[in-house]
Amino acid sequence: MLRAEQLLRRFRNGRGVGPVDLELREGEILALVGPNGSGKTTLLRCLATRSRPQQGSIRWFGDSAPARVRSRLGVVFDATAHADELSAKANLGFFASVKGVPSNDAGPLLVAAELAEVADEPVTSYSYGMRRRLLLAEALLGNPELMLLDEPTVGLDVSGQRWIGAVLEERAHNGAAVCISTNDTEFVEAVATRVCFLMDGKVVRDAPLPDLLSSLGGTREIRLSCRGALPIQAMEAVSGVEGVAPIEGGVVVLARQRDGLLAELLSTLGGLDRSLVDLSVREPGLADCFLKLTGRTLHE
Amino acid sequence: MSDQPGVGTLGQSMPAVSASCPTRSLWQLELLATLSRRRALLIKMGFPLLLVIPLAATGAPQFFAGMLLTILIAMVGTVGTGVSVTRSRGAGWLDRLAVLPLPAWRISLEIFIAGWLVDCVQATVIFAVLEVAQRPDPIVILSTWLLALATLAFSGAIGLGVATLTDNAGEAMLFLAVILAPLLFLSGLFTGVPGEGVRYWVAQVLPFSYLTDGFQLVLHGNPPSGTPAAFLIAGSVFLIVSLAACAALGRPLMTRGA
Repeated sequence: MLRAEQLLRRFRNGRGVGPVDLELREGEILALVGPNGSGKTTLLRCLATRSRPQQGSIRWFGDSAPARVRSRLGVVFDATAHADELSAKANLGFFASVKGVPSNDAGPLLVAAELAEVADEPVTSYSYGMRRRLLLAEALLGNPELMLLDEPTVGLDVSGQRWIGAVLEERAHNGAAVCISTNDTEFVEAVATRVCFLMDGKVVRDAPLPDLLSSLGGTREIRLSCRGALPIQAMEAVSGVEGVAPIEGGVVVLARQRDGLLAELLSTLGGLDRSLVDLSVREPGLADCFLKLTGRTLHE
Repeated sequence: MSDQPGVGTLGQSMPAVSASCPTRSLWQLELLATLSRRRALLIKMGFPLLLVIPLAATGAPQFFAGMLLTILIAMVGTVGTGVSVTRSRGAGWLDRLAVLPLPAWRISLEIFIAGWLVDCVQATVIFAVLEVAQRPDPIVILSTWLLALATLAFSGAIGLGVATLTDNAGEAMLFLAVILAPLLFLSGLFTGVPGEGVRYWVAQVLPFSYLTDGFQLVLHGNPPSGTPAAFLIAGSVFLIVSLAACAALGRPLMTRGA
């Protein structure tokens, strides 16, 4: 459904993305995940026909002409720009008309986006979250075969996040392909079928979500908060530790579960006369997978 | 997550929204949005009166009155389009339009037309005052009015061109001043047009020189050149050229910042 080969789009400061190869098949929900500046949004803008790659090629439905495929795409960028003085109905009506979608399709979307009651009010009166819901509703018009969404959960409350997650799953189940760019690992773990980790514009790992999570089997995420600088090198030397990365006020340690692990880690701290403030241990998730692969956290 | 609230409502019926929604195309949407900003619209329609009423009522020298009214028309067209399109890009609106199944030339043209129509109403207010205060020859005021509409289109095309150069509305204003000032000078607004030489020929291809002559005629002055027929012909040419330029600017406008 979507294939990018040796796609490259770099800015003067060296940031950007590529060269990367990427393929998205129908029924898949692919999440582009990486820290800020890793190239997620640049890649998504290329895939969404907004930016032209400097090198490489993209084919949508086997076609390389962006103008011919746009009616089959549903795109959400980070900006919530609308014709603000007009109502949600008027905005949706415009997008429906341009996409060649029957105007009747807009009504159920307004209901699903929980905007039906305010559909006649100007968008200027909407909160940020309501604008994001409207954006998503506009992107969903016409049941696009390929959806590309940048940070789809930003600004949404819990019910909004559940709504969009459920809608994306439903669309994928019906054969659409979905690509999201996000750092919301909870959302990704809930809806994605495949994850593509990006760092410095390159693909670090592209694999089905279950494979990534199972690669962490037996691993635990240990968060330690201490006063003063933490002895990262000393922690890395502890047997079973797979990765250590600094976070605000402490470190996150990824380690194979074994007897005595915590005691050894704490003794490392104690030996260096650090005073422990907080400690938590939990099952690892996608963020830990990224840490294990790259030695960096997603929120650096 | 499919058991969450919201999914089930997708298939439920609800009254069609577009039955009452007149925004079928981009220019309609843009125009409606502009018309919905009532206070801004009131100021936009009212502020030319602050200039045209004193000029028309006090018998100001026709050369200066024509110059000021021409500058007003030029500023309305360039600033209105240039700044609003630049701000639209800054807000991400052009990004959204760029991924719709609309060609770039059409997006550019439709945005331009929506702004131009409002500018035309604004210019018409000026001519209504002149008609009441000066009672000019109907052919003169009609041809000058049409020329003013074409000049607004020409100015709007300049504004659109500037919007392809910057993402910052303040910077767009500076660009417009830098571009417009020499064009107005070369049109002979400040010094008149010499009878020959490069400046003469440059003035012939700029609408501002015709428009200032037109305003002088409307104000019962004696412009050095220009007749209603010349205004109509020049206006038609400038209008066509401006529309073509706006369509051609679509690609650079939509690819900037992409």
